[in-house]
Amino acid sequence: MSTNGVLLSLDDVHTYYGAIHALKGITIEVREGEIVTLIGANGAGKSTTLRSINGLNHPRRGTISFMGRDITSAAPHDVVKLGISQSPEGRKLFPRMSVSENLEMGAFQRRDRSALREDVDRVYSLFPRLAERKSQKAGTMSGGEQQMCAIGRALMARPKLLMLDEPSLGLAPIFVEKIFEIVREINQQGTTILLVEQNALMALDAADRGYVLETGTIALADEAKALRRNEQVRKTYLGE
Amino acid sequence: MTEPHKAEQPRRDGGLGRDLNARLQGIDPLGWALTLTIAVLAFLYPFYVEFLQDVPLIGDFIPGVGSMVVMLVFTVMAVGLNIVVGYAGLLDLGYVAFYAAGAYMAAWLASQQFEQWHFHLGSVGISKELSGLHLSIWIVVVLAGVFTTAVGILIGLPTLRLRGDYLAIVTLGFGEIIPQFVRNGDNVFGFDLTHGTFGISPIDSPGFGKTLSDATNELLPLSYQQSFDRARWFFWTAVVLLLITVFCSVRLRDSRLGRAWIAIREDETAAAAMGIPLMRTKTWAYAIGAFFGGVAGAFYASFKAGAFPADFYFNISVFLLCMVILGGLGSVWGVIVGGMVLGYLNVEGLATIGTKLQQDAGLNFEPSKYQFGIYGLIIVVMMLFRPTGLISERRHKREIEEGVQDESLYGTSK
Repeated sequence: MSTNGVLLSLDDVHTYYGAIHALKGITIEVREGEIVTLIGANGAGKSTTLRSINGLNHPRRGTISFMGRDITSAAPHDVVKLGISQSPEGRKLFPRMSVSENLEMGAFQRRDRSALREDVDRVYSLFPRLAERKSQKAGTMSGGEQQMCAIGRALMARPKLLMLDEPSLGLAPIFVEKIFEIVREINQQGTTILLVEQNALMALDAADRGYVLETGTIALADEAKALRRNEQVRKTYLGE
Repeated sequence: MTEPHKAEQPRRDGGLGRDLNARLQGIDPLGWALTLTIAVLAFLYPFYVEFLQDVPLIGDFIPGVGSMVVMLVFTVMAVGLNIVVGYAGLLDLGYVAFYAAGAYMAAWLASQQFEQWHFHLGSVGISKELSGLHLSIWIVVVLAGVFTTAVGILIGLPTLRLRGDYLAIVTLGFGEIIPQFVRNGDNVFGFDLTHGTFGISPIDSPGFGKTLSDATNELLPLSYQQSFDRARWFFWTAVVLLLITVFCSVRLRDSRLGRAWIAIREDETAAAAMGIPLMRTKTWAYAIGAFFGGVAGAFYASFKAGAFPADFYFNISVFLLCMVILGGLGSVWGVIVGGMVLGYLNVEGLATIGTKLQQDAGLNFEPSKYQFGIYGLIIVVMMLFRPTGLISERRHKREIEEGVQDESLYGTSK
């Protein structure tokens, strides 16, 4: 591959909310087949990084490229079409649609009907719980089930890169374990994953590499294992 | 948890494109029978209306065929507006602009307004010597729809980036601009475009033309306006127009586009993240809604044989919105009921009630003087006791009962 196995790269990305300088030059690389995690405190710019990638907040400076294509100022629907889908922060399900309707929305950009069937089955086999609840309104499910639905919905776009924004947020510990187990499984089935997490411990255990964000800049970048041992990370993010 | 699981075949929810087929096949025969019965009863209305009017007590409240035409035209517009407001959740307070655009399209293409030109294409019931543009009303109605769609896209592109109240304010503005423009359009750089406050009249009549009329032994009238059964023919055409509008509306609701509208209404940010092109999807809702407004406007102008700026005030937009809200946002059948009820009150109901009050109770009270107060009261009472409308659509019902969460797409995130 001409891009050297690099699927997504952010180069010196600056993103603003109005006058607020939220990302102050972020450089990130995600290679094919990896799980890469972004960890950091609240307000460090993790979600903003994802919003910059998926086109909801275009960077004012810097470039984002995906599979060698410049997507810095691409519209959200074009980003999805190119193969980046996400489970957004706070899950953002369509609460009054059923589980199966939510999954259907995830495949909005796709036209290959026959393959869709397979993907629905794949989502249901990853999350048997969703299969049981497919006609239930998404808004009436528990937090863990909603998170499963959000991940399933993102998978329905058959993404090359799956972005997960705080999948463990507000979930019971048992669900957190399950979600991370499934994240690994999705990765093993061949989907590259960019994982944003506050739960640094779980995230670093699951990931191949990690970036530590601090107030809009990259403070550290390393193999996940190395970050796990890093003194500063352990103190600040792992509470050890 | 992660062991392979054979997903069972979905039964009712189907999902993914099969949904529509399943829904069409699975349509309950009762619903079909009911729809068909109502349609047949509607078509036969002119034949039994006189008997109904002879029934004591209620007879005086039965609308005549001519009034029905007006009620139906307004209902067509309400069903069109429902696509914008009900399906896509875009509050449009300027729908009258499309109505006006449609009416003036008919006025331009089928009258003597442009005396400097002379062009006839399928015009009926008028001398071929008449100057001006005279296209067949059938063509004009379609062209009016296309024209207003274009106007809708033009207005929609800059305004649909706004949300909620802001969109409502801007559409309100457009609803005010168009009638003003029409009123002052008698001298556009020296060119008389709209004939100002006088409006444009007469407008040609629809009809089947000489060939068809002769072939059917004058069963089909050459021209509606000159026909003995004038009101009836306009009525039947209006019913057909409404049926077409309802059919399109229902099919759109169940389409991929319809799904996208629902998604945007539920959560715009999530919809964008799913790859739904926001602007395009919202503009489609606006444009399709505009199309039906234009068609209704052109047809109505030809029924009234004129287009006058006084017909396009802001209150019409609000009136149409009342129909949609009274019937039930997003519910096609509800909006039809809402449209017919308010349309009836507007056309003759309030006046009849006033006369009755005066005759039978000796009260000197004319409800038609307070018509907008009365519509307002109806809406307030509806909001208190049945906020989801007369016939509520299930998803909207949940939205109103549970509330929606929608935050700004471009605002600050946590």
